[in-house]
Amino acid sequence: MLQVLVLGLMNGGIYAIFALGVVLVYRGTGVLTFAHGEIGTIALYFAYFLVAKVGLPWSIGALGAIALAALLGGAFEFLFVRRMVNADPVSTVVLTVGFGLFLLAAEFFFFGASPRNLEPPTKHYFFVIDNVVVRPWQVAALVLALVLGFGLQSALRRSDFGLGILAAAQDPAAVRLVGVPLSRVTLTVWSVGAGLSGLAALLVEPSVGVIAPGYASELFVIGLAAAVVGGLTSLPGAFVGGVVLGIAQSASSRYLGSFGVSGLQYIVVLTILLVVLLGRAYAPEVRRRLATPHAGAPSTTTAGAAA
Amino acid sequence: MSATATLTSPRAARRLPVPTLLIALVAAAVLPPLIGRTPILSDPNALLLCRACAFGIAAISLNILMGYAGQISLGQFAFVGIGSFATGIVTGVNDLRYPWLAGVAFAAAAGAALALLVGLPALRLRGLYLAVVTIGVAYAAWQWLFRFERIGGGSAGKVLPRPYFGTHVISGNADFLAISAVALVLIWWLDVNLVRSRFGRAFQAVKADEKVAASFGVDVARYKLLAFMLSGAVAGIGGAVYGTAFGTVTGDTFDYSQSLLLVVIVVIGGLGSRVGVVAAAFFAILLPVWLHLVNGPFTSLFHHGIDGIALMLNALLLMYTIARHPDGLAGAVSEAREKRARRRGGEPPLPPTRPNLPSLGRPSGMPEPRKLRPGTPVLDVRGVSVRFGGLQAVDNASIRVDRGTIVGLMGPNGAGKTTLFNAITGTLRPDTGHVELLGQDVSDLPAHARAALGVGRTFQLIGLVKGQSVYENLLIAQHLATPYGLASGLTRVGASRWYEREVRERADATLEGLGFQRYAGTPVGRLSHGQQRIVEIGCALVTSPELVMLDEPSAGMSPAAAEDLASTLRDIRDVLGRTVLLIEHNVPLVLDVTDELYVMDAGRVIADGEPTEVVQRPDVVTAYLGAAPAREGALA
Repeated sequence: MLQVLVLGLMNGGIYAIFALGVVLVYRGTGVLTFAHGEIGTIALYFAYFLVAKVGLPWSIGALGAIALAALLGGAFEFLFVRRMVNADPVSTVVLTVGFGLFLLAAEFFFFGASPRNLEPPTKHYFFVIDNVVVRPWQVAALVLALVLGFGLQSALRRSDFGLGILAAAQDPAAVRLVGVPLSRVTLTVWSVGAGLSGLAALLVEPSVGVIAPGYASELFVIGLAAAVVGGLTSLPGAFVGGVVLGIAQSASSRYLGSFGVSGLQYIVVLTILLVVLLGRAYAPEVRRRLATPHAGAPSTTTAGAAA
Repeated sequence: MSATATLTSPRAARRLPVPTLLIALVAAAVLPPLIGRTPILSDPNALLLCRACAFGIAAISLNILMGYAGQISLGQFAFVGIGSFATGIVTGVNDLRYPWLAGVAFAAAAGAALALLVGLPALRLRGLYLAVVTIGVAYAAWQWLFRFERIGGGSAGKVLPRPYFGTHVISGNADFLAISAVALVLIWWLDVNLVRSRFGRAFQAVKADEKVAASFGVDVARYKLLAFMLSGAVAGIGGAVYGTAFGTVTGDTFDYSQSLLLVVIVVIGGLGSRVGVVAAAFFAILLPVWLHLVNGPFTSLFHHGIDGIALMLNALLLMYTIARHPDGLAGAVSEAREKRARRRGGEPPLPPTRPNLPSLGRPSGMPEPRKLRPGTPVLDVRGVSVRFGGLQAVDNASIRVDRGTIVGLMGPNGAGKTTLFNAITGTLRPDTGHVELLGQDVSDLPAHARAALGVGRTFQLIGLVKGQSVYENLLIAQHLATPYGLASGLTRVGASRWYEREVRERADATLEGLGFQRYAGTPVGRLSHGQQRIVEIGCALVTSPELVMLDEPSAGMSPAAAEDLASTLRDIRDVLGRTVLLIEHNVPLVLDVTDELYVMDAGRVIADGEPTEVVQRPDVVTAYLGAAPAREGALA
């Protein structure tokens, strides 16, 4: 039981950080990003390049990685997203998919398909809770996600600029009216969101140990699901979503086994995602039916099933 | 055959003539083996072209879903993959050992089945949420479903034997390329027919606006699922070709990035453009080879990944395409062509605003209308209430429309007129009350079923498929008049030919009556608002419905056009013998044409009766002008 909880929390923290980046970008620009996984991966490759090839200390490499991630996010916003203000959300989604593929291709191009190894500085620090190896990085990820999830929203509320970030996607005109330049808001959320992805990738790397192209995107997809489960606009929701998916995964592999194949975690995530989304979609109808059980003709209750 | 001349005009989706199809099939079957016997086409290049054909088929499948039906899928390779593995299971030496074509059929079925599962949540989820769910499906298929030993063949992969004729196995890649190319041509042909059938048109309507689609009688949920299943089946066939070309496939062959690459291909090629997406698929697959051909200092600088460069170029092209030309390269081409045409010719002359509506009988594809007992109203609404959260939008409203009359519905903005319209047509379900159409209680019927009973309607904000031509819209509006099956529609054999000819004749007659012949090929979105309104009325009438419901038809029309509208409305009643329910703010128009007038305010029907009397009632005047002391006949 404790094992399941600890494992779930450690993974959930990472998902939550990715989810926070997604939510931040969505609230700030109304764009659902599919690119942040690859932004995280390429940042990690950059850290590898700085540490293993150039010979810089790990901390500098990590800072460089986060800086590169933020730079990529900002550049993408500046060059492309900005031109898509009036486009429909789905084509913007495809745009971010294209950027993710571009970065994936760049990973293959510069580093090849064979996995690389970035030695973390604290390989030998860890403690064990109920047979689970816990590394300080994982705890840091969880704490960071918790702080960002619950602290960021109230912190943002304190300034006009922060309020602008929270309101930008919903009402861009209002943001401009209170004197906050919208372009700075969007640039900031994309940079910060991308930086978070780089950070999440760095924090998870020590527990996996190798970097391969597309490495962070699998984690990111679950983070994306976590953001959607958490409501897509709520920062605390992103944290909760991440932790819920993390625990659901560890619980499923503990209690359900794997049926002889790996990857059951994706089924679990997909199921939770569908239950939450469809539950939300059908909620108003269900509520209405409960409120007025005899609406319309007597057969109304069955008519809904056909719709 | 003068009829064929109108059928091939560019105003409707083009068809693929039989001779062209036959020539393409023969060329696809004969050329690759011939060229493969010469040094021009090497064996690896033939395999590459097989892969391009498979990607072309997969691109057509995604185009059906995204381009026609407007449903995003970021997980199309889940369907392609299941098609590959299904083929392996049916044809494999260690499995069932059935012939290859049985494998292809099973691949199509498996793809359709998986796509149906994915389509079920799509009934309620759209846009961004559907994108997240489909990418989740792509991951789950890749990381879980394809990892089953029985499906994916484990780490060794699934072996798909090449097809054979008698004892002759088609082992050469150039020979198999012939089969791949024939498959692509056949899928292409099916796709051409799809677009020209009621199914393709229903997809277009669903993509444009689900409410509008339902008003044409399209069962939105059914057609969404159908789009998913067709797309999944085609993707499955693509997977069969793909897997058989390579001989062995593993789960990693169909990883999520392949699905994303396919989205890139389809968007670059242009959503909805068959030529565009197939060309983009070939481009994306062949690009690495061309880069090898120009192999120079640039590519040898980095030892890894020609593939890397190719994908980077593709992705960059995508980002440029979306930011610059949202309609893809095909859209950019047609944009340029149009610009040239405009420079050369200029606009065609304006059509008349007073159309002569053709008197069309009931289409033969629709059931005869119910015989009404004399005195039964066409529409009888009793005690309908609709509540949106805290707002009582319609409050216990009752109206009655008799056959052969024009009934007006007036009221200030927000009175609940359009909401009542929506409750009558089934666009939304009222909380309480009954709606009776032609003597039948339809309170429990969905919108498309009510349309099938004989209700045509227009929308406040123009209910047309804006991206399609006027002619195409007139065909889309006749969805109910074409009751033929999917097989007939896809092959253009049997019932579909007959019904299609009929609806095209009706569309021609309507075009002529509206005076819009020269605008037949013009996308509706390019017309002025008033012109769109006339086309919309034409669409509402083209299946000769018993009841026509018009939502503010004169809005946005010039005063002169509004005057013409009055005579058009009278024509609908007197010449066509239809019944009209009309929401209208234009008081002179209402007084001019209506036989009876209802007035709504704050959700309630506050007055009804003889129009000139009703507009003079103090409470009606108050509702419109506020509580100021009413002067005699203030509204009139």
